[in-house]
Amino acid sequence: MFNPMWLFYILVFPGALFCFVAGTLLNGLDRKVYAKMQQRIGPPILQPFYDFMKLMGKETIIPYEANKTVFLGAPVVGFVALVTIMLLLPQFGFTAFGELNADMIVIIYLLTIPAASIIIGGAASGSPYAGVGISREMVSVISFELPLVMVLLAIGKKAGGDGVTFSMKAIADYQAANGAMICQWSMIPAALAMLLVVPCEVGCHPFDVAEAETEICEGPLVEYSGAPLGVFKLNYYVKQLVVSALFAALFLGGKGTGIVAADAAIFYGECLLVTFFSMTLIRATCARLKVEQVFKFYWTVVAGLALVSLVLAWFGL
Amino acid sequence: MAFDFPFVKEALTQMFKKSSCEEYPFKPKEAFPNYRGRIVFHGDRCIKCGLCEKVCAGGAIHNVLISEDEEKEVYERTFDLTSCTFCSYCSDFCSKSAIELTGDFHMTGTKHEDLLVKGQYTKVKKKPVAKAAPAAKAESCDNKAE
Amino acid sequence: MFDNLINKSAAKSPWLFHINAGSCNGCDIELVAVLTPRYDAERLGFRLAGTPRHADIVVVTGPLTAQIKDRVLRTIEQVPEPRCIVTMGSCPASGNVFKDGYTYAGPLSKYVDVDVDIAGCAAKPETVLEGLYQAAMILEQKRKDMKNKGGQI
Repeated sequence: MFNPMWLFYILVFPGALFCFVAGTLLNGLDRKVYAKMQQRIGPPILQPFYDFMKLMGKETIIPYEANKTVFLGAPVVGFVALVTIMLLLPQFGFTAFGELNADMIVIIYLLTIPAASIIIGGAASGSPYAGVGISREMVSVISFELPLVMVLLAIGKKAGGDGVTFSMKAIADYQAANGAMICQWSMIPAALAMLLVVPCEVGCHPFDVAEAETEICEGPLVEYSGAPLGVFKLNYYVKQLVVSALFAALFLGGKGTGIVAADAAIFYGECLLVTFFSMTLIRATCARLKVEQVFKFYWTVVAGLALVSLVLAWFGL
Repeated sequence: MAFDFPFVKEALTQMFKKSSCEEYPFKPKEAFPNYRGRIVFHGDRCIKCGLCEKVCAGGAIHNVLISEDEEKEVYERTFDLTSCTFCSYCSDFCSKSAIELTGDFHMTGTKHEDLLVKGQYTKVKKKPVAKAAPAAKAESCDNKAE
Repeated sequence: MFDNLINKSAAKSPWLFHINAGSCNGCDIELVAVLTPRYDAERLGFRLAGTPRHADIVVVTGPLTAQIKDRVLRTIEQVPEPRCIVTMGSCPASGNVFKDGYTYAGPLSKYVDVDVDIAGCAAKPETVLEGLYQAAMILEQKRKDMKNKGGQI
């Protein structure tokens, strides 16, 4: 039973085209505000778009030692996974693929794929810098996965009542009935933890140990050039959008207005806010951490915050 | 602790301040006083003592003979800005202030010729001493440049 | 359809790669000064890239010593087309005070086509910005030429 709306969902809204446009705009705004915080004028808001278009027009060099198929395929796989997450996230009442009734476990798996695509692409390029980069990427994935799962468990327990629910729809329904999740005081530590998980998940500045430009020459991306690099950069922009949208769906849901367009406008406005607080502000004020510092920070402070919420939720608060 | 937020207040207040950028390529700008930029050579003041060439560490100053007749020789002096260290020794040692380092800092070029400063000076040939001894002093200062 | 857009974008997002070919560090800090809030090259789209594969403009400082000559040429070869090579300061363009030294192997223009020379010792940040801006325009032109020649992209 093919539904013609599916094609529209996948290709236009909230699928590929929308992800491209909104992701580049979000990153452009992020860079502009970041520059403002440093008393600079900053690049134009369309700068990420220019970057992407320029990389599309550059020569693509494939290293002699690289596996061509994997090298070129990895960024596309990451992009497809990100678009898929976008299709499964509830935006107030509207979910593109609502019938699938996807749960959070799917989203956790799909969120790992962009990181995995970076790891696979880096490994295929056969550069020693990429080798260092992928080992760092793995460490950062391990560091943010634990707090992320604990946050999701806390939310699941809160929304599930007696049992634990993993359904995104149940969480959206719970928020529609009881107001946004962040208004529950027992969920505030989890929200803080999630705010700190977001930048590491995206791989932006203080936690970009894998792509440290000045230390290991952008790590896994070291051998990429031209169009595949452009798609990787696009992945970065879209990841910013998707992960902040995940935060908005989990914590800032609600009843909505009932009109899809207005709901979407509010939802992506919330994404902008999340991006500002979790990425731009932290990026502008902190220096890059070392690998072991990232690991320690996530498994003590952030995991601790998530644990507080989890325990509170377990006691029914 | 490895992680704290020391500059949050700073970042948030600076968001609403005017940026401290200089919009240089779109708005013209003057160099600071005493900035040593593009060289200007006044050939009419030159007394061809050659001191500038001797003190130039980078070897940026060259002379080429471009024309010669019975009375005078015309030389072209080239200042190669890509070889210059802008130390201003040439202008300091020039007793006639024929070399000047201006505040013009627009020193970029796509070709090597864009970064050469050229100027001509004339050397009047000395007449044999026996013929006109008293006039020699006056003529040597009589430079025709460019 | 997108060709025009790509050509325009080529001028608007030039990424720099900086090679120190035996420089005295004077030009290096001036290049970094261009990226600071005061001059803010990012508003023109300039960004320091971490690897030559991501770069569009290669900025060479220093007199190209005999030891580093092969490495510099190899790094420049790794930059994908269209690319621009900019010499910054007097040294890579002519050798400056090092030109008679036994370790000197330059000038750079002997080995590769240099697109823009930036004079100064060390170059003033405004001059650097001007030169890089010029290089970005050349980049757009090169991209157009590359497309017209039917080169592989």
